[in-house]
Amino acid sequence: MYRGIELTIIFWVAMSISYAFCFSAFYAYATLPEHLLDPNNTAKIKATLKLSTIRLVIVSLALIAYPIILLKYFKYAKYVTVALTFWATSIYIDDYFVLMGIVEYPDSGLISLVQSSRPIIILSLIWMSFELTFRSQTEV
Amino acid sequence: MNEKDSKNLEFATIFANASISHSKSKDHIVQSSTFRLILSFINLYALISIALFFLVKGNLVGGVNTNFIEQGGFLYVLNARAIILLLLLIFLNLSAYYNYGFKYACLVLIVYMLNSAIDNAVLFSGFMHLTDRPYLSAFTITRPLFIISLFWIMIIHKYKFKSD
Repeated sequence: MYRGIELTIIFWVAMSISYAFCFSAFYAYATLPEHLLDPNNTAKIKATLKLSTIRLVIVSLALIAYPIILLKYFKYAKYVTVALTFWATSIYIDDYFVLMGIVEYPDSGLISLVQSSRPIIILSLIWMSFELTFRSQTEV
Repeated sequence: MNEKDSKNLEFATIFANASISHSKSKDHIVQSSTFRLILSFINLYALISIALFFLVKGNLVGGVNTNFIEQGGFLYVLNARAIILLLLLIFLNLSAYYNYGFKYACLVLIVYMLNSAIDNAVLFSGFMHLTDRPYLSAFTITRPLFIISLFWIMIIHKYKFKSD
């Protein structure tokens, strides 16, 4: 049965920031300008859009599953949060250091804004992971 | 008591204390043989795949055409991934040795392997055919086995001491 979760206000703020970021990413990719979807577009942008679509599918699954895990299976929430944090960090490192010659994000205003605010979601997730991990350690 | 006897007594005390402290430091958790077996498999798998990549990259394997890895930035990606995998493997072994954060280290490695598998499937599936390069495809096909091993070792790992 669900019992009230005692988490700090910062946790809920960090979670709201993460959700807001994900929804803005959805909106940015759903409202892509027509010229970017042109088949003659560069291979780099096409590869990026393909990769982004798959990542957004995973993000949407995580957005649906996360509140369920947090409310019903709180014991496992810290592992899910750490996994999502590392995934967000690894795709950020991948995009800027590993796949830098292969992927190229389109020059659309909203996509640039979403890309530049990626460190904020990583910081929010790191805070959520810390809070869930150390909270459960002090409770034992 | 002469000087020799007193020195012997001193040494005996020191050695006795050392032995006690040594046995205290030995009070570590003993993981199951399955755990050790899977950890060895994970290390071997990762090290062989990294070694194979560096052998192919360095043109040290006879009769293998290495031009394909230079296409479309594939070489740079594989190189970076091999180094990151090596670092994560070191982190996994350190956390297993010190018995601290092992489950998180496993989780991080699982996420990293899944993410790199998705990236490779999306970006390089066009020119990477399984039958073309069996020595590399073997690692692509058996990657789920590696991920299952990581899941398994994460579940069977014990944090608490026997005496607790």
